[in-house]
Amino acid sequence: MPTRSPARLVVALAVAGVLAIFLVYTAIAGHSIPTLTPSQIQGKSGKLSIVGTVVGKLDGDSHGASGLRFQLVDPQGHSAKRVDVVYHGAAPPPLFRVGRSVVVSGRYADGRLQGTDIVTKCPSKYTSAPS
Amino acid sequence: MADLGRAALVVTFGLAVYALVAGGIAARRNERRLAASARNALYCSFASTLIAAAVLATALVRHDFTFTYVAAHTNRHLPVAYALSAFWGGQEGSLLLWLLVLTGYGALAVAMNRRLLRDLTAWVVPVFAGIATFFSFVLVAVASPFDTQTAPFDGAGLTPSLQNPYMVAHPPMLYLGYVGLSVPFAFAAGALLSGRTDERWIVATRRWTLAAWAFLGFGQLLGAHWAYVEVGWGGYYAWDPVENAALMPWLAATAFLHSVMVQERKGMLKVWNMVLVALAFELSVFGTFLTRSGVVNSIHSFSKSSIGPWFLAFVVISSIFSLALITWRLPLLKAKTKLESALSREAAFLYNNLLLVALCLTILWGVLFPIVTQLFKGETRTIGRPYYDFFLRTFGLPLLLLMGIGPLIAWRKTSLRGLARTLTWPIVAAAVTGVALVAAGAGSSSPGLIAYTFSAFVLATIVVELVRGTRATGSLWTLVSRNRRRYGGYVVHAAVVLLAIGIAGSSAYSSSVERRLALGQSMTLAGYTLTNRGVTVDPKPNVTETRAHLDVTGPWSGTISSGDNQYVNPPEPSREVGIKTDWLRGEDLYVIVDEAHPKTGLIFVQVLVKPLINLIWIAGIVFLFGAAVALWPDAREQRRLVARLAPAASA
Repeated sequence: MPTRSPARLVVALAVAGVLAIFLVYTAIAGHSIPTLTPSQIQGKSGKLSIVGTVVGKLDGDSHGASGLRFQLVDPQGHSAKRVDVVYHGAAPPPLFRVGRSVVVSGRYADGRLQGTDIVTKCPSKYTSAPS
Repeated sequence: MADLGRAALVVTFGLAVYALVAGGIAARRNERRLAASARNALYCSFASTLIAAAVLATALVRHDFTFTYVAAHTNRHLPVAYALSAFWGGQEGSLLLWLLVLTGYGALAVAMNRRLLRDLTAWVVPVFAGIATFFSFVLVAVASPFDTQTAPFDGAGLTPSLQNPYMVAHPPMLYLGYVGLSVPFAFAAGALLSGRTDERWIVATRRWTLAAWAFLGFGQLLGAHWAYVEVGWGGYYAWDPVENAALMPWLAATAFLHSVMVQERKGMLKVWNMVLVALAFELSVFGTFLTRSGVVNSIHSFSKSSIGPWFLAFVVISSIFSLALITWRLPLLKAKTKLESALSREAAFLYNNLLLVALCLTILWGVLFPIVTQLFKGETRTIGRPYYDFFLRTFGLPLLLLMGIGPLIAWRKTSLRGLARTLTWPIVAAAVTGVALVAAGAGSSSPGLIAYTFSAFVLATIVVELVRGTRATGSLWTLVSRNRRRYGGYVVHAAVVLLAIGIAGSSAYSSSVERRLALGQSMTLAGYTLTNRGVTVDPKPNVTETRAHLDVTGPWSGTISSGDNQYVNPPEPSREVGIKTDWLRGEDLYVIVDEAHPKTGLIFVQVLVKPLINLIWIAGIVFLFGAAVALWPDAREQRRLVARLAPAASA
């Protein structure tokens, strides 16, 4: 019976290793962006996502030149830190409103997030019962 | 009533603990009477869980708001079907459903195999009981669906988006799949514990694995279709952690269903199969941890729940248990034969497995990435669609190609020349398709073009196989009924091809445009012209429906409407998209009206044309049909198995 398998095993492991490195590289350098809460935003800038609860007045229009303006606070309410958001683009999802948890992605500079994408919490079964 | 539910769950917990301890002792000391007693305890745990489930179902149907769970997830206006669907609409009910399916599956699987595999099932009982102990403990001590309160006048209700037939079927379908993976896991662990590591456990659980895998796959497609028609963003899969939680065990189970054939035929890959079974099971529990713990941000959940740490502990302990068991029994898991050639059926299965597991682990890495970066860099970083899409193409396209080569390649070994001869027609079909697509202008997307060419290749191999087999046996019916698993598998392959064509078409070749349209204004996209004909508001008792109406001319002519519904109780909005399916052209015109001003008639509209997207849904039906063919009871196969297993059983 032929017994050439160990060589194949080495090749397979090598391929797996190369893939693993590639994967880690891609994930870290390629496509990841920081996802922060308003209390963690201090000193950051550039492309990022903010997870937070919508507060304040919803002002303006996402399709207009001045955009839709609102503020975000920490989802758990541990911090009073507020972040200003100006959102341009398609109208936010229907469940978007004051008091909702959302993830807004965009570019953060000068204490303001220029949002280009809003994801609101999906009305899925995984919510816990309101207390 | 709640007391009865609570008591039933406590009884389930007691029975599970008894079946675990007594079953373990009985199996170890080979005490048949005690083993029978443990088995009966497992059967009875299903009965007591059924009582608990009946109590909750009754409370839901009767709108008994003294149950905190019922008040939190339903209200008086909810129709009976949706009130019942709230059984899995919340955490506690979902866990109860899990336990119900688990004890049901466990009891049935053990009852069906107790004579033929007596030595093995003696160990399977305590493994099932161990899992049931965990779930019943969580339901009794951490997240009870039977907490009570002073009844409020009305309940909080079910989110409008979930009041959809797909949402009635999708979660239980996923549960039947998730929990079904515990059957091969329990039998694999039973085989390792008893030292009976021959192929019997695989044969005993083959249909269970197939059924669980089919439920999981179909359940995901139902969820995708729900997202497409109900959530209203034009997509069907967002690579969200909660969605990935269902995809990962399905991929692991797919790998197992293939590699198991190598073990049955060649006695190889025994360790690998054990690892795959454990991986599929652990991923299904890990999925629950992911969705419940709030450790990663998901569009499906931002809320933390108390059961997360319990699930994490269970995943860790059961993973260590599985790994220790496999390591302990390594001497029994030696392969009977070795891989003879890199060009053989078994090698093709191995490549398929490596790709499937690589895809699965890549997705797992993406899901865990925010946690890993938080731990090591102190900052949560997430990876999005580009990462997943890249690896879906990297691993998915070779998988598609292998799906064509695998069935035609011979066992043991073949030559390149022999392989080329077998694959002549499929290669010609792929080449013709590729050239025709480029000529038709489909070369704009390389992944799309590759996917289509590979799809043509796979479909051609299936046709070649069917023609060749039919010639040999005289009729297609005889051919299929002689080897249902094989030809059911081909039908599933055809479904995967349809899925690939649908995914590639709807993503690589879709077009979209967003416009603000005043009353009477028009826009065009992909040959369609849409004209704003105004906005209507229709107030109904529990909902106000706002709709913008657009006249459409082009490949299809008519009126399409889209807007939103504003519900009174619960006070939630829902987006209502307009979808027109053109079956002949195989494309959808998908209209999302974001803003509609009734007074001025001004609207903001996004229009998408999605070619071939309906093949994804058709693939679901074909998939189910193929799985049913493979699952269909086969008297001939049964006789063969009994003859093969009888000597081993009496050994």
